Amino acid sequence: MSRVRLVNITKRFGNTTAVSDVNMDIAEGEFVTLLGPSGCGKTTTLRMIAGLVEPTEGKIYFDEQLVNPLPPNRRNIGFVFQTHSLFPHMNVTDNIGFGLSVKGEDKQKIAARVQEMLALIGLQGYEKRMPSELSGGQQQRVALARVLATNPRVLLFDEPLSALDRNLRDQLKYNILDLQRKTHKTAIYVTHDQSEAFAISDRIFVMNLGRVEQVGTQLDIYLHPQTEFVAEFIGSNNTLAGEVIQSSDGAGERQVSVQAGNLTIQCRDYLGLKTGDHVLAFIRPENIRVLDNASSNHYLNQVEGTVEKIVFEGSTVHFDARVQDTLLRVELAGTERLTILNREGARVRLGFDEVTLIRRN
Amino acid sequence: MATNSLSLPTSKPAPRTWSFSLRWTEILQHAYIIFCCIIFVLPFIALFQYSLQKSSIISLNNVIANYSYVFGSFKDNLITSLQVSALAIIINFLISFPAAYAIVRYTFPGKRFLLSLLSLSLYVPAVVLGFGLVLTYNFGHIFIGSIWGLVFAMAVGTYPLMLTPLIVALKDLPPSFEEAALCLGASRWQTITRIVLPLIGQGIAAGVLLSFIIIFNEYLVTLFVVGTAPGLTTASLRVFNLVRTAGLLNTTAALAATMQIISFVVVLVFFRIIGTRYLKGTYLI
Repeated sequence: MSRVRLVNITKRFGNTTAVSDVNMDIAEGEFVTLLGPSGCGKTTTLRMIAGLVEPTEGKIYFDEQLVNPLPPNRRNIGFVFQTHSLFPHMNVTDNIGFGLSVKGEDKQKIAARVQEMLALIGLQGYEKRMPSELSGGQQQRVALARVLATNPRVLLFDEPLSALDRNLRDQLKYNILDLQRKTHKTAIYVTHDQSEAFAISDRIFVMNLGRVEQVGTQLDIYLHPQTEFVAEFIGSNNTLAGEVIQSSDGAGERQVSVQAGNLTIQCRDYLGLKTGDHVLAFIRPENIRVLDNASSNHYLNQVEGTVEKIVFEGSTVHFDARVQDTLLRVELAGTERLTILNREGARVRLGFDEVTLIRRN
Repeated sequence: MATNSLSLPTSKPAPRTWSFSLRWTEILQHAYIIFCCIIFVLPFIALFQYSLQKSSIISLNNVIANYSYVFGSFKDNLITSLQVSALAIIINFLISFPAAYAIVRYTFPGKRFLLSLLSLSLYVPAVVLGFGLVLTYNFGHIFIGSIWGLVFAMAVGTYPLMLTPLIVALKDLPPSFEEAALCLGASRWQTITRIVLPLIGQGIAAGVLLSFIIIFNEYLVTLFVVGTAPGLTTASLRVFNLVRTAGLLNTTAALAATMQIISFVVVLVFFRIIGTRYLKGTYLI
């Protein structure tokens, strides 16, 4: 139940900078995710919060207490590892009770607490089992119970579900969220899986190359990415590089025309762009519609392209449309998606409104 | 049986055909192995047989007469051997474990050089080691005339045999166990005693085994360090002295055979329970 603050945290290993000037402010009881590709510094940041790694620069606060000088065993945290964390020579009871027994709690209190935890994770009756006798999912649930038993003030998760298969992952992530909500603990979760992050977080920190690229809710980072990396890493996107050739104020909103290769795109402008500015234009595949003659008029942009490479993915269909020299990926869902099948090589009319613009140097 | 040239492919391998040369190769291979075994085991059989005799006659009385020496005048020697072994093994472990932990878990400059240095006593001849130890004792005026000189000498000589299995065992232990224990609130000491040591138990057992076998059977360095000091003669040294002064006696053979049996039993029990995993990298495996 602690507020966690990171102030100017940097970590260097020799000549490599793993984490660079990271600032975070996480509220009490909040569930945040550090999301990013391998090597972006998210695990290193998490381990610095835990105290397993010492920051080269910067300060970490739990509430108002500076925790930098404290080793992990004095920070009152719970850390759930990806794998290999349940002590193999102890049974489930001893594993869960470990945190309390090293503090010298008496046996009855420990036994009662272990029973409480087993009920919380739904594994009553598994007291005497050894970790090697449990499935991957059960092991992670016991690991969860083990960290909750000591009543920590911050929960830290280092890709706890990566080693499990898809279905188990989908189920367990909601278990984790459930337990976090029930116990009101501040949780910091590290993953490279977007759908996991989107399913359970209150806020997401998108990280790349040691820096935080953007912080926000799922809606924020999906609908309004602020950097090129976030626009391309989150979901999929068509990226076009271009230059502003015209700007206008009409009907209370600014619009700009962007010339990208042979294409001229009309976009809403929230950045205050001027003619001559270099920008990147991002168009999400699901925002491009296939037009028939009836519904054409209200799209800001309407182009014609040739259909190439149709892929039926099940609930969605995506294809590439060659519009003059540019390839645009289009994604269709619902009943509409079936209409494009077998139309490879056909000319279609496409319409889209939503374009995200990001300044380019 | 007739082979059908149109036979369909099956998943079973073709039956072996007994060719003359194949059969003979197999017989020779087995014969060679059995021959080697006999050559190696022959000295032990001869020794054991000798310990059962008096004047070339094997009888129960003779056996009892010979082996009663083992429990009589040789008893002190065996006890000294076991004492020295136990103390040296304990010292070995107390010094090896922190060293192995530092080598595996930390990075520091000169690690490789340090490791070579620590393994030095394995590659140095026993006489050189013995000479060096005597000089050290004379220089320091310590350990002379007490069992600790011998214990220290044995510890120095077998230190790498405890260090290596511990390094192997610690390398195999994922650091996440210790990290998990720390994050749960355990102190460093609690982490080591409740998590690390139990999980490297097999490595420790391997180190104990290797050290014991060498120390228990060692006599050359012992000779240098102990000389003729009273009360410090180990069983190994006693056998050596007896053979040198009194020749090949049946009673001496009984002591030697007893030592043999003790070593065999310890090694067999170890292999039965733990296996050879932790002995890789030492020169015994």
